[in-house]
Amino acid sequence: MNWKNSNLSSMREAFADTIFDLAKDDSDLYVVSVGLRPSILMDKFALRYKTRFIEVGVAENNAAGVSAGLAKSGKNVFLCTYACFSPGINLATIKQSICENNLPVKIIGFHGGLLTGELGSSHQMLEDIALMRSLPTMEVFAPLDSIETIKMTRVLAKSNRSTYMRLVRPDTPSCYPPKKGFTIGQSQILQTGKDVTVLGYGPILTQAIGLKPSLEIINISSIKPLDEKTILKSIKKTGRCLVIEDHQQIGGLGEAVATLILKSGLKCKFAQIGVDNQFGRSSHDPLDLYRLYGLSTTDIITKINYLISKK
Amino acid sequence: MKPWGQSVHPLTNVARELRLSVLDMINSAGSGHLGGSFSSLDIMTALYFTDIFNFDRDHFILSAGHLCPTLYAILAKKNKIKNSLLSTYSQIDSILEGHSSSTVPGVEFSSGSLGQGLSFASGLALGDKDHHTVCLTTDGEHDEGQIWEAIMFANKYHQGNLINIVDYNGQQIGGTTNEIMPLEELAAKYIRFGWTVQTINGHDYYALQKALKIAKNSSIYPACIIAKTTMSKGISFMENDYHYHDVKKLSPEVYKLAHNELEK
Repeated sequence: MNWKNSNLSSMREAFADTIFDLAKDDSDLYVVSVGLRPSILMDKFALRYKTRFIEVGVAENNAAGVSAGLAKSGKNVFLCTYACFSPGINLATIKQSICENNLPVKIIGFHGGLLTGELGSSHQMLEDIALMRSLPTMEVFAPLDSIETIKMTRVLAKSNRSTYMRLVRPDTPSCYPPKKGFTIGQSQILQTGKDVTVLGYGPILTQAIGLKPSLEIINISSIKPLDEKTILKSIKKTGRCLVIEDHQQIGGLGEAVATLILKSGLKCKFAQIGVDNQFGRSSHDPLDLYRLYGLSTTDIITKINYLISKK
Repeated sequence: MKPWGQSVHPLTNVARELRLSVLDMINSAGSGHLGGSFSSLDIMTALYFTDIFNFDRDHFILSAGHLCPTLYAILAKKNKIKNSLLSTYSQIDSILEGHSSSTVPGVEFSSGSLGQGLSFASGLALGDKDHHTVCLTTDGEHDEGQIWEAIMFANKYHQGNLINIVDYNGQQIGGTTNEIMPLEELAAKYIRFGWTVQTINGHDYYALQKALKIAKNSSIYPACIIAKTTMSKGISFMENDYHYHDVKKLSPEVYKLAHNELEK
């Protein structure tokens, strides 16, 4: 799918609007903000729900602790800031105050991946999935686009488990099947095919849609718990698997899937698209970063051809 | 602060029993944080064995999870957990983890990593304004930046239902708090951060009760009680010695000496 010619929409906006709507009926819904209110598009919420918008200031550890305490008192808490700061800074507080106390705080990590663009390495969170999926009790999600963001936010608002959801900064193509819902632990087959299974999460996966040869593209928006059954069923059919993610290859979905395949005993040719042990950097066009780091559509085609050519 | 005509405070006997209980717990486990468990013991005794708070409704957040032997001993005395559990402290098949865990009935917060409890207590106090949340931190724990983030937060949200008691024993694992990271003047710092502050003797039950009542009646200001304490209070040869922050297996002679002193 070519992003330049697509209808683009904002996952941030989709999340902010959904939370605003949910707060009408859920008087226990709280947003904990960490000094980035305008950027996470929470102005409207803060104005309408003054007492349920908690501004902690630029203090991620306190934000995670306050969120945990609020959740302990029975509130439905969304902890919202950039992923590079939460969980980037407050991992130990998330582990102890939220996870070890088994509290259903929903951590929303904005600005995931290289897509964060010109803000550069410090703001491009490339390790969040690795950090969050390694925490016991934590569930990890990353919607494909704005449509899935809405569906996912509505589901997660009802979850009673510790949760991490990753969003991205720029507007991205919308292609989530409108009739499909979102269920924790389930993936969605975006395109059926027979030659290569393509797995991934977030907007980067849309780059594979429509490419040749016959690709089975599965949206792994529920990264933990992982939909093992659907993944293995597809790999059994194709015998080839490519995992695409805007994240470090180390600790990401690719490693989760590789482990799954090895444990299953299935024969499979495997390749990964992801950041290869490097820091990000600035660029006004994030797609230039995808080209520089080997995450572009061209790179995906190269990897698919490599998988097809392997006997 | 002792009223005329009264020589022994009724909590003295409770605290003596608890100290013996904690000593036995740590002795049978072969390790534990004795120094702080004893310095904070009179504070926790005043919290749990007076009618100022009711922790079936009010909240107690032990930020310094290594002080859990004292909390466990109290919960056993309150029949929240079985007394027989105490001898299993930090053993593999026990629910009594080496640092406090919310899987234990009566424990509201899993802790061990320092500096997080006051944030948690602030969130809890914000979500439950009908009750009080009492947090127990230590002086050494104030090295953590997160504590100061929480102190600012409580001031912003006028958390009159939040109380932070600092077990100020002046020692931490590797030396005096003054050597490791000077903390003074702590009372002045809290005042400048918008809190009410009382500095008291943390082993004087009359002072503790009075301070807790005053703190409880605060309307819009979060209340700090700096309780000056003695590490390992009650065992004279361990008092004020940071080497007893945590102890390994006690020799039978040392155990007996300590036990005899506490029984007096």
